[in-house]
Amino acid sequence: MPRFAGKGYKKRPLRRYGFFIAVAGLIALLLLQTSPRLSQQIEPVRTAASDQLFHMSKPSLIDQITGASAKDQRIIELEARVRELAQYEALALSMAERLEVYEDILNMQGEPSSAEVTARIMAEADGPFAEALLANAGSVNGVEVGYFAENDRGLVGRVVQVGLRSSRILKITDFNSRVPVMGESSGLRAIMFGGRDGDGRLTDQPEAGAFIRGERILTSGEGGLFPRGVVVGTVQGQGNDLKVDLAMSKGQLGYVRLKKSPLIPAPEALDSLGETVEPNEAELTSTASSGGQP
Amino acid sequence: MSRAIAPLSMIARWWTKARPRLRLAVGTVLVGIVGLMGLTPNVFFGTTVSWPYMALIAAIGWGRAGLGFSPMLVLILFGFAQDVTASAPLGSFALVNLATYGLKAGLYQAFDAERSPGVSYGLPILILFMGIIIVWLLASLSSNHVVRFMPLFASFLATMFVQMIVAPVFDLGVRAAAGREAML
Repeated sequence: MPRFAGKGYKKRPLRRYGFFIAVAGLIALLLLQTSPRLSQQIEPVRTAASDQLFHMSKPSLIDQITGASAKDQRIIELEARVRELAQYEALALSMAERLEVYEDILNMQGEPSSAEVTARIMAEADGPFAEALLANAGSVNGVEVGYFAENDRGLVGRVVQVGLRSSRILKITDFNSRVPVMGESSGLRAIMFGGRDGDGRLTDQPEAGAFIRGERILTSGEGGLFPRGVVVGTVQGQGNDLKVDLAMSKGQLGYVRLKKSPLIPAPEALDSLGETVEPNEAELTSTASSGGQP
Repeated sequence: MSRAIAPLSMIARWWTKARPRLRLAVGTVLVGIVGLMGLTPNVFFGTTVSWPYMALIAAIGWGRAGLGFSPMLVLILFGFAQDVTASAPLGSFALVNLATYGLKAGLYQAFDAERSPGVSYGLPILILFMGIIIVWLLASLSSNHVVRFMPLFASFLATMFVQMIVAPVFDLGVRAAAGREAML
């Protein structure tokens, strides 16, 4: 085996200094990020890095080796499903038309239609720091911070960072996520956050009334981060220790639909002459994003 | 049978003669490949597989040769890439990798002069565990709550398992200064 001679030995103290300087530098970098302002300045670097890293990534080798035949089978199944669902499409269209007429008659404000992008999940980060997904759609595809993500079963999370060709989705299973939800049957409201075992936990529950075990949990639309009525999961557990069995975990996480959250217009301000003043774009955006984070 | 073994023995001979810089490059490529594979969803037959921290394995392997600028630089760069992928504060994984590397270099310099089996096999596991503990501490501190330890422990077991298999790839072919002094 090759061995170092005297050259390496002489360099040893310098290496030791280098090591301690590097450690001190990294600790300083970590401490600097405790300042929100400095942390925000680092964010563009992180966004650019993740953009470059994940734009380059391709489907994994293992995926190609083990998943090819399963995917073919899945495509056949999905094609059959599409044929089956096609007959419901016409029915749904006619019902939507009728619903629109009814809403007009009742002067009811329905959920506004939203922009939609389907993206492939390029990477998952279920590590100790954050539970996030990286999707291969970014600002060039029209994705913006605040878009929410759902898979074939239900809500997945919310876009918290957008690069040119990639976006980071904070999953609803993350401890720091907060989703305003309601029970489909009971109509009770609560806030859901990510639990320790990949499920959701309900907090800020109403004092009167209780969620019904097994009832579906939907987004309540409060705060304007998510539209009303997106499926989140079903209630499990009893008493105050309620868990939400998340619907998204029963579906696939290979692809997600990124949808724009509805903008709630700020109330018009009245000027001195009694005329309404239209809110500008910045006000609209701030209204939609001021309700916390998922 | 001997025909099948022949290419392997040829690789082994080539690896024995390989210079430290080439060994470092091979290790770097391996960490990069396994790390990129780990970014894709690791679900096999419906079960999510814990992915090993390859950079920690590299830190432990390279640390045995004592401190060096090239391994330090590579570990810091891998750390930044891990920070980006894991949504961790920038510098967290670089610090973990570097701390593990320094710990291994220091402890081997202190205890591995005689190359006792206990130190050779036990110390990497202990240092790996300490590295995982640092990850857990940093994650808990940065997110303001105690993060779950079990997924990290699963990753530790996966890392330990992989480390036992691929350890020779991260042997730079030189020993820490104390060992060298003893030999010289």
